[in-house]
Amino acid sequence: MTSVIEISPLTRVEGHGRITVFCAGKRVERVALSLYESPRLFEALLRGKGYPEVPEIVCRICSLCSTVHRVCSIMAIEEAMGVRVSEQVRLHRELILYGGHLQSHALHLYCLVLPDHVDATGLAGLAGKAPEELKRGLRLKAAGNLIQETVGGRTIHPVTLIPGSMGKPVPREGLLKLREALQAALPDARATYELFRDFYRSEESLGTPGYLRVRGDGGAPLIGDTLATGDGETVPVASYRDVLRERLSEDGNAKQTLVNGRPPTVGALARLNLGMPLSPRAGEAFTESRALVTGADIRANNLAQAVELLLAVERSLEIVATLLDAGFAREEPVRFAPRKGEGSAAVEAPRGVLVHSYAFDGRGICTAADVITPTAINQAALEADLLALARRMEGADVPELTGALERLVRAYDPCISCAVHLVRM
Amino acid sequence: MKKPTIAIAGLTACSGCQLTLLNCEDELSEITQRFLVDYFPLGLTERCMTGPIDVAFVEGAVSTPDDLETVLKLRSYSRLLVAFGTCALWGGVAAMKNHEARRELAATVYGAAADGMKTFNPQPLHRFVKVDFAITGCPPEKGELLVTLAALLRGTLPEFPSYPVCAQCRGRENLCLLIERGELCLGPLIQAGCHARCPAVGIVCEGCRGPVAEANVAAEVRLLLDKGFSREEIVSRMQRFYPEWDYDQRD
Repeated sequence: MTSVIEISPLTRVEGHGRITVFCAGKRVERVALSLYESPRLFEALLRGKGYPEVPEIVCRICSLCSTVHRVCSIMAIEEAMGVRVSEQVRLHRELILYGGHLQSHALHLYCLVLPDHVDATGLAGLAGKAPEELKRGLRLKAAGNLIQETVGGRTIHPVTLIPGSMGKPVPREGLLKLREALQAALPDARATYELFRDFYRSEESLGTPGYLRVRGDGGAPLIGDTLATGDGETVPVASYRDVLRERLSEDGNAKQTLVNGRPPTVGALARLNLGMPLSPRAGEAFTESRALVTGADIRANNLAQAVELLLAVERSLEIVATLLDAGFAREEPVRFAPRKGEGSAAVEAPRGVLVHSYAFDGRGICTAADVITPTAINQAALEADLLALARRMEGADVPELTGALERLVRAYDPCISCAVHLVRM
Repeated sequence: MKKPTIAIAGLTACSGCQLTLLNCEDELSEITQRFLVDYFPLGLTERCMTGPIDVAFVEGAVSTPDDLETVLKLRSYSRLLVAFGTCALWGGVAAMKNHEARRELAATVYGAAADGMKTFNPQPLHRFVKVDFAITGCPPEKGELLVTLAALLRGTLPEFPSYPVCAQCRGRENLCLLIERGELCLGPLIQAGCHARCPAVGIVCEGCRGPVAEANVAAEVRLLLDKGFSREEIVSRMQRFYPEWDYDQRD
């Protein structure tokens, strides 16, 4: 007898998704993951727009990731136009990226995942079940948002980040306020790491994922010019389609290239496994939990995110100190004439590898755009893991299965708004 | 007084309006205690709408049969329905090319797979259901959301500014980017309430809060043309968040 279990909508994840489990008797035949986010067609919206409009429009792909979309977009434009920015601009951009990671990881760990561990019905139940933890999570999130607001001029969809330059640089008082908030966030980040380390339970592995990350040698852990895989292979960002290319299988369905024989997995867990440079306290936490994280399946991703909170806070403190010491003068924007060309950039978004790639004509009008988001990259791996887990749980009752599958989805921290490329992937 | 029951849902959007609520870090715990949250898939485990709902906050435009089903259901379960953010109120970013065929736009991104997509040009909520109140902005201002929630606890709704961004921009003594720098600033056409946060950091108003009532659109377009911007450029910028301007409107 055939039966169908539908989990719809997926809750405590960003965006709209559903899981359908098809069973024949007790046997799980198939698991379908549908991310039915309404298509917003950003690549089509960008065509015909002048390059200054591109980052302003494209950051609206997603609110949780608006900062990293904007930074990645600007870097791709600068690549296409041959523009080099100053140290001051680079530092501000790196700083705001950490603000985005802090905000996003804290939101995910405390508002979306924590209810699973303290048996709360969701955000509304947390105030009763885990009030101190909730407060701590919100403090960390607020610190991330303070960075985004101070550097970007607005918490969601930042405004000061523009090609070749930035708006007003952060005044000294702003930096001092940031330093204070970040110093206060350090113990909270450590406590978060300990909390999620204690939550983590090693279970029979779903297999080591095909990790993938952005790698560079510029000293900024989240920014780079190559995509690196677990077996040491690297591909220049401009050739991202070699790793993330669309390939049609014989039956005509779009299929994705595999990394190390598995669909690629990106995000905090991949970054830690692939040797992203860490700050002292984050490195210490990683060393302590190395056995849990190394080669682990995606269920260790929340722990990896907690380690990254330490990185984001520490590295932000370093940058704030550098900016305070340097006392940069306000600089005029880099003037550049638009030119015909193509440019691609990759940045580590909170959820993993993000690629923006554009082509412009001689007037700087966008003629083609391609955005590949971490959630789109992770989708194949997520589907494979859902099937493996559902098969392993054959015979379990429906609430148990539903709970386990939803927790697995949350471990990936999908951002479904972002997944603009689902069909093509 | 009984706790008001609220719902928070997203349609075609970026979740930024819902995130604005979650960004109220200092107030969030209190909000979850002062209101009963009936439906909020982003924040609650429970996935069913039970109702009755006093106030539904709906983010996003309507562009799919699923969106339509959700907004109709929310309307029928709720006493008040709030258009939460620019997409819900004006159409927003996803609607900027509504003058082009949806199928062609979809084919640009998805190729042949576009044929099977159930999607239509994104529309604001008021095209389908009665909207009782609106909080504009892409993203909305946290303060306006909190003022609305506080007013609801007292059984009322707040009054928001009905004058252009320039009024608040001048109040902050910002350099006028439109007149003094000759940049393509949309401040005169756009509803205030953001305290001119973009011009305050040297960035032009991109119009994310949508048209102010009684905007002199024709005068702004004339001014920008005189400053050397092409009509194409001006229209492209104006349509970013609202595709239906009357370019001849004078008051």
